[in-house]
This record gives sequence, structure tokens and C-alpha cells, in this order.
Amino acid sequence: MLYDISLRIACRYSSPASGGRHLARLMPADLPGEQRLIAAHLDIHPPPDERTDRIDFFGNLATDFAFRGALDEITLHLQARIDRLGAAQPSGPSTPRAALAPEIAAIASLAPEAPAHFLAPSPRVPQDAAIAAYAAAAARACATALDAVTTLGEALHRDLHFDPDATNVDTPMAEAFAGRHGVCQDFSHIMICALRSLGIPAGYVSGVLRTTPPPGTPRLEGADAMHAWVRAWCGAQTGWTEYDPTNARPAGTDHVAIARGRDYSDVSPLKGVLRASGAQQGLQAVDVVPVPS
Amino acid sequence: MAQPHSRDAPSGLLARYRPLSGVTDELIDASGAQRPAWAALATHLDALSPETFARDIARGEQYLHDAGVFFRNYGATSHSTRDWPFSPLPILLSEAEWSGIAEGLIERADLLETVLADLYGENRLVAEGHLPAELVAENPEWLRPLVGIRPRGGHFLHFVAFELGRGPDGRWWVLGDRTQAPSGAGFALENRVATSRVFADLYGRSNVHRLVGFFRAFRDALNGLQGDSSVRSGAKVGILTPGPMTDTYYEHAYIARYLGLSLLEGGDLTVENGRAMVRTVSGPLPIDVLWRRLDAGWADPVELNEASSIGAPGLVGAVRAGNVTLVNALGAGVIEAQAMLAFLPRIAEALNGRPLKLPNIATWWCGQPAELAHVRAHADRMLIGPAMATRLPFETDQPYALAGQMRGLAATDLDDWLGAQGPGLVGQELVTLSTTPALADGALVPRPMTIRAFLARTPRGWQVMPGGFARVGSSPDTTAIAMRQGSSVADVWIMADAPVPDETMLTRPQPAFTRAEAGALPSRAADNLYWLGRYVERTEGLLRLTRAFNARRAEAGAAALNARLAEELARYGVDAAEPLPEGLIRTFASAVNAGSRIRDRFSVDGWAALSDLEKTMGRMAATVTPGDDAALAMGILLRKVAGFSGLVHENMYRATGWRFLTIGRSLERAAMMADLLAVFTAPDAPTGSLDLAIEIGDSAMTHRQRYAVMASPDSVVDLLALDGRNPRSILFHLTEIREQADLLSDASRNGKLSDLSRHILAVQTRTALQAPETLSPDALRALRDEILALSDVLWQGYLR
Repeated sequence: MLYDISLRIACRYSSPASGGRHLARLMPADLPGEQRLIAAHLDIHPPPDERTDRIDFFGNLATDFAFRGALDEITLHLQARIDRLGAAQPSGPSTPRAALAPEIAAIASLAPEAPAHFLAPSPRVPQDAAIAAYAAAAARACATALDAVTTLGEALHRDLHFDPDATNVDTPMAEAFAGRHGVCQDFSHIMICALRSLGIPAGYVSGVLRTTPPPGTPRLEGADAMHAWVRAWCGAQTGWTEYDPTNARPAGTDHVAIARGRDYSDVSPLKGVLRASGAQQGLQAVDVVPVPS
Repeated sequence: MAQPHSRDAPSGLLARYRPLSGVTDELIDASGAQRPAWAALATHLDALSPETFARDIARGEQYLHDAGVFFRNYGATSHSTRDWPFSPLPILLSEAEWSGIAEGLIERADLLETVLADLYGENRLVAEGHLPAELVAENPEWLRPLVGIRPRGGHFLHFVAFELGRGPDGRWWVLGDRTQAPSGAGFALENRVATSRVFADLYGRSNVHRLVGFFRAFRDALNGLQGDSSVRSGAKVGILTPGPMTDTYYEHAYIARYLGLSLLEGGDLTVENGRAMVRTVSGPLPIDVLWRRLDAGWADPVELNEASSIGAPGLVGAVRAGNVTLVNALGAGVIEAQAMLAFLPRIAEALNGRPLKLPNIATWWCGQPAELAHVRAHADRMLIGPAMATRLPFETDQPYALAGQMRGLAATDLDDWLGAQGPGLVGQELVTLSTTPALADGALVPRPMTIRAFLARTPRGWQVMPGGFARVGSSPDTTAIAMRQGSSVADVWIMADAPVPDETMLTRPQPAFTRAEAGALPSRAADNLYWLGRYVERTEGLLRLTRAFNARRAEAGAAALNARLAEELARYGVDAAEPLPEGLIRTFASAVNAGSRIRDRFSVDGWAALSDLEKTMGRMAATVTPGDDAALAMGILLRKVAGFSGLVHENMYRATGWRFLTIGRSLERAAMMADLLAVFTAPDAPTGSLDLAIEIGDSAMTHRQRYAVMASPDSVVDLLALDGRNPRSILFHLTEIREQADLLSDASRNGKLSDLSRHILAVQTRTALQAPETLSPDALRALRDEILALSDVLWQGYLR
């Protein structure tokens, strides 16, 4: 599926902020077999005094930029054309859960795709006893890792209430779980925590959703802003698979990936450090439109 | 000193010392004989009377107290400092013994360097099965943004420390590796000075290896790490500290002063086009080498811990661009995890083809089935704790299991814990330490000890500090874990067989004498000096006002005047009714706070004067009663403030820092005086106001001499505002500010005055042209506002 993507992020500061240094992860990745980046342009306004584009540890396209003077608003505008082939899908039978640990241990690699990165607690996904107990109960009957992914994703979709006003970008995972509510970021972090507690390596994908669904299908939750979902490693044969707990379905051609990591902190679309005193405010606008063939 | 002990009764201290059985002792060897390294000290101690020894120890403790050596304690609501836990008796090791240890430590430092280069480079250790991928991946100090970056100059490690202990078989063991930001080298140095004061006579004539050569070699090595070798100014190497709230800040300031390096906080740094720069009063200047005393995670909020407010945004980018050397490299802390001890011995064998000369304590990582089973089976002989802990087992407050018993996690089954947390745990054999003589209740008793040793990389290879500091346990229990109950710190003497050369910090051979150029002053330091000047001056002014208030408290006729005084004090947040007002104490606390952030720029005496004043104030606050008693107390405090100002005035080098301190002081004094005159020379001022103004201006004598009349508003304004020779007058201080502003580096460029010079010139000239009649209360208030507005000009130009 060929898409034209337009993604606009604006940050406004109530008092002029100076000495700003930022890190954006907004350029969609080129992922062989999953999506092809045909063209992309990230425009930053006002034009920064410094800008460097590079590739980070997990293979994401990262943009460092900095301003010397004071400013009261920054706008980032991404325009991209992507050929989305589909998310990673199981390439073979999934491993029985008991046999997963030795398979992980057998992969002697620290390459970005290696499952070893995705088992331990990460900055935004610490260990959590309540989520672990929930996961153990929900996945009790699951024989394979892949079963556990689908079962947990469906359980979370059933038990958590999608509520954009209940949490914000800095709400701790445990708090969102205690309230059984949140947005895609909370759903994804809780699911990652749950999978890791079962010994299943799990990570975070940031991306965007097709804005208008194909005729006859409902609009996906989260299409009006950046979205997030989960990837899990289900065994040496199966490899990585991606699942969207907010919409209770595997990630497919309606999902376009931007960046991947252990959790939100590895992929946050815009990190910034400013010497500012006042509050700041962010705005997002997303359009993911199929290109007529 | 002469032989004061010869006539007193000898103590026989060492003769009565009895080591424990089954444990190695540093003084007495396995055959019961005294080790030769201790001979001179033993003779000295045995001949010493208990009284003399007590006096000698007091001398060492006095040194530490005077030097202000302290630890900072964290509390939920308050922070306190505590004295350094000094153990006066050093631990003596023979040169032969030490060179064996040193050889092992150098081999280990090289091993750690190789492992780090691999973990941030090719990852062959993981690929070839020497290290489990999961162990590295779960380590929070393995910093992914640094993967693939080779440090400029090629080395990850430049300064490392090792914890050492000696087992029952007499062999030395490594208990832990310190590669992140090892602390303690400065404390070792201070400990050495204190111990050498205790044994002044003996130390001078003993063959104790001196420490200074080690520091000199490392300082020269740091200076040699600069990227551009054509620029060789000491200002391009800095120590990066987390700031005064860190428990080892004292040490950072001490080392910075001792080695002549600038002490920098994250807020001092900015990154421009991939270059790390220091914000200075002369604008951003590049910095080349940062000796990092800050844990790597906090160093850069953009790419590392985003919650850090003490780092420098973009620092990782500067490292990536190859424009700055960090000592040690960001990410070097990955190797400190206790779990690494399980793999390093085998990695060493694989790399070197032979076992480590100096083994580390036996460790098993519970993330592997066979090792987990081993730990489960032998839990009764192990200490089980967090795999990623970077502290020694007796230093963490996380849950652990000792000899099969769970600690810190009530009602948890050890087997369940191991099963659930496997990869997060390590088992280590229980360590028994050697003992050394320590003083307890006037007798020498055996106490367990560990030694921290330090290595510095120099162009000639690793240098090992000939000494270190030892931690001595407080109970006779020799299991390492017993050190949790507290320890004191002792010096380590390496005893040579022949006299040792006398060393100094001077580099030899010395090049032609050149005066080092003072580095540009970081803006933050300038800001703190400026505020230190202002707050000390404000404290003095408030002391004078409260003294005047209390002295008049009993006078019936002074009620109206005192009411006006109380109003004036209230404007500074001071409640005159309180005997030693809270607002006054707070003002001075602000001065101490500003001073504490720039301790590296203070003489020891200057700092001592400031702390002394703070302590006296605290003491008085509890006892002083209103009225004459309070007035008397203010007098004492005023003299102490004068003592501090005098020390600063007499001793501080007239560099840029001095100028900011002086500007702060003069600005505050001029503004306060303008305020005071506006109130007390007003037509409606109560009776006695003019005398009060003269009293506060400390100018009673001068007034009598210069004006053969009763005080009038004009004579008072003339003397306290416009007399350029009176060091209490407004004009005097405006002139002072103008002179200091004109001496700042940017005061005049191509004939154009700096903003500050231009503004102060205007204010000073306008004031000089005034006459007493024209300086009405309103004009004085306007003048005060103009003076205070200079603060913003200063901030815009230099302190931002």
C-alpha cells in the first residue's frame, strides 16, 4: 500500500526558551520486507542553527538540531511517501513457552534485532508485580509465545479503557495500569511489561495509522496523532511479530512504522532540552493518505 | 617535634596487640612474628605514652577539621555534613608486596580496557560465548548511544580504582572494579596529610612512598590528552562534577584546586557544532578534556537519562564528533557490575593465555541454568545479591541473602527469589578479610580492612598510586559483609627498603618559567561570586540595622525611631522583634550556599571563616535574648563578617572572580545605603534618625571631624552618599564598581564601552554631580533603583 504521509508537530513556549537542543525521531525507517521509504523530508521551523541526521543504535533515523537564540515556537513537518508492505509476520511455528529461554540464550548477539535487548526492564518499563500477575493469569492457557502475544493483546484491549484524557506522555506505566485506562503509549508499555514478565522479549514501535479506513471498515483508534504498538520475539523460527493492543489486531498495512526501541524513551518523536521557565504546549496533526494507483 | 614522649611512661601499645586466629593479620604474620614493614612504626608506638599519642591524633584530626574535609549526608528533608571518619593508624605494606599487587592491577586495568573496547566495538566476547548477550543488554550502564564510538585518543579508561582484600591464605583478591567515576583519590591525599601530622617525626624519616608523583603524572597526562597540542593552557582540562549536593563534592573541589583544573558543572557546559564549550564571562570557550565525576547516565539529558538536570545537553554528540575526551569514557561503568566478576577470569585466560595474577572473588551469575543450580546448592556459603550492583556487597541497601538467609525482603523464600529473579542475581563466595591494628578505647585491636587502590594512565603506561585508602571495620567480625556496620578510613603506607625521593607537584625537568594564564571564569562561578559578595554585604547591613534596633529597645524615647527601623528591616524580610531574626539567618545561608558552590575558588581559611560564622549564628539563635544581649551578639557577628571580608580582601588573587565578588559587595552596599538615607534623612523622619544613619554608616568619628555642626540631612547625605573618600558612601562604591567593570576583559572594544561600563559610568557620573540639597529622598530612591538595575546589565553581559 502506497501512502503519502504528512505529520506536523508544534511546540509553543509561554515564555521564550533559549539554548534549545533537540533530538527528533520522525523520519520513517526503511525496513526491508516491511516498508520501503520512497521519499521523505523533515522541515524544521525556524531553521535551526545546527542540524545532523544520523542512524541510532536501533536503526532509527535520528535528527539532532539546536537553536542558539530564544524562540517561542518550533514546528516540525514531515512529508513522506512510503510503500507499506506489512508488518513482520510469523515466519514459522512459534516456540513453546518453556523452550523460549534456551532459544534466547543461544543467540549470542547484541545486534539491534537481538532478543537480548528486550527482556530486561527499560527506562519506561520497569518490573511491575501487578502487571506480571495479570499476565500470568491471562496467558495461563497459552502454549506458545505467539499465543501469549495475541491472548494478552486481546485481554488488554478488553480490560483497559481507551481514554486520551486519563494519562499524558509522562504518566508512569503502573499508574495507567492501576486506572485501567490510557492511550496507545500506555497500552503498549503495559503489554511490553506483561510479555517480558512471561519471558517473551518485547519492544515498542512508534508510527502512524492510515487516516481514513478502507470502505466498510471502522476508523482505527489513534489515527489522529502518532500511534504506538508492540513487537514481540516469539522464537527462533517465528522471529518478530507486531501487535497493536489499542486496536486488538496484528499490525498490518494500515500501520506505518517510524521508529523502534525498547520503550517510548528510545523512540520519542521529539526530545528537547531548553532553558525555559514557562510551560510548553505540543500539537500534532497527522495525515496518512493512500496514493491512488 | 622534639621527643615529648621520652619521659612519659611508654604505652607498649603494639606489644599487647593480639591478632585473631585463622585470619591473616597485616602486622603479625602466620608464624606470630611482626612483619618487617611495621618495624619503625612499632618502635615508635611502643615508646609513646598514651597521653602523647592522644595529642598526636588530635593534631591529625584538627588538620582534617581545619581543612574542612567532610562527607555530605542525604536526608529526606535536610542535608547535613559529617566529619571524615579518620582512623589514625596507617596500614603498612612492604614495597615487594605492593609491587606484586601493582603488577596484578595493571594487568587487570588492561583487561578492563580490552573488554570495554569490545563491548562498544566488535562485540566478539559475546559472539564467541565469553559473555552472555543478556548480561550486557540488561546492564543499565551499557549505553547504547555510545556503541560504535571509539573514544578520541583510543582509550576508554584513564583513571580506575580497585577494591582489594586479603584472604585467610594471605593472598590478595579484587572485590570490585571502579571504572565509572572512581572517587577517593583526593580523600587518600587528605588522609595522608592528616596521618603524617599524627606521626610527624616518624613520617619524615621513614621510607614511605610519597603520593605526589602519582598525581603529578596524572595531571600531566590529562593535559597531554588535549586534541590540539598547539594550545597548552590548563584551562582546557576540567573536572565535571554533579555539584555540591553530591557526597563527594568536597573531594572534587579539593582535587580541582590541588591539580589546578577548573571545576565545572553540567550547567557550565554547552555544545556548539559538536564542540563542548564552557560558558564563561568572556563567552563560550572550548574545553578538551573532562575528568568526569558524574555518572554517565546523567551526563546528557538528550541522549542519556532524560530526567537529568545536571548534565550538558549534546555532550554525547560532542563525543561522537571526536571533539572531547571524557575520563573515563561515557559507558565505562558497564564493567563495574558484580556479575562481570563471574566472567572476567575466563576472559583473561582466553585473551592472555594464563589466569589473572590477582584473582577476583568467585562469582556466579544466576542467569545461566548450571550456575543458578550451583548457587542454589551452595547458598549457605554465599552472599547472593543484585547482579548489576556496582557497589560492594556491604554497601548496597538492596535485598540480599547471606549464608542462606534472606535479608531485606521479609517472608520471601530464597528458592522462589532465585527462580523469579535469576538473571538479576549473582552469588559470591563469602569473603573473609585480613585484620589490621585499629585503635579502640586506647588499645590496639584487630579489625577487618579493605584497600582501595588507584591507577592512572600516563604516556608511560599505568601508574599505580603507591598507597591508597583503607576502610577499617568497626567490629572484629571479619566477614566482608560486617563492614555494613560502619567503617573508618586509614592511610596506606608502602614502605621502601631505601630512602624515597622527595617529590613535589612541579613538573620536572622544568621548562623556562612561565606564569600560567588564568583561565576564563565560568559564568556560573562568576554568578556565585557576585551573589556571595551581595549576600555577605547584605548580612552585614542587616546586622547593623538589627544591632541599632536592639540597642534602642529599652529607650523610651526611641519608640518612633525603632518602629521605622522595624519597617525598614521588614522590607528585607527580617522581623526585628526576633532576637536573632530568621530572615537574617536566611540571608547569610544564601551567602554560604553561593560560597559552597565555588569552594574550589576559596582559600581554606576563607571557607573556615564562613562556616565559623554560620556555626556561631546557629549557636546564638538558640540563646540570644532581645535587647542588649542581642545587640552584643550582633557586634560579635559583625566582627566575624569583617574577618571574612578581611581574609578575602587580603588574600584573594585579583583575577576576574575577585571583580565579580567586589561588584556584588559594592552594589549591595551602595543600594542599601541609598535606601537607608532615603528613609532616615526624610523631613518626616523620627528624632534620632540622622544619628542612626551615621551609626549604621560607621562614620560617627568622621562626621564629628568633618562637620563642626550637629548632624543635618545635608551633612549626612554629603558624608554617606557623596564623599568619594568614605568607604561607606554610595559614590565610593559606584566608583569601585566602575573601576572593576572597566577591568573586565570586554570593557572596551574598538573604543566601544561594554554595556556594563556604559551603565555604571552614567550612574556614577550622575551621582558625582549631585549636591546634598538635590539628593532628596525621592532622588535617593531613584538612585537605588538605578543601582539595582545594574544587576540585570551584569547578568545579561556575563552571568547568563
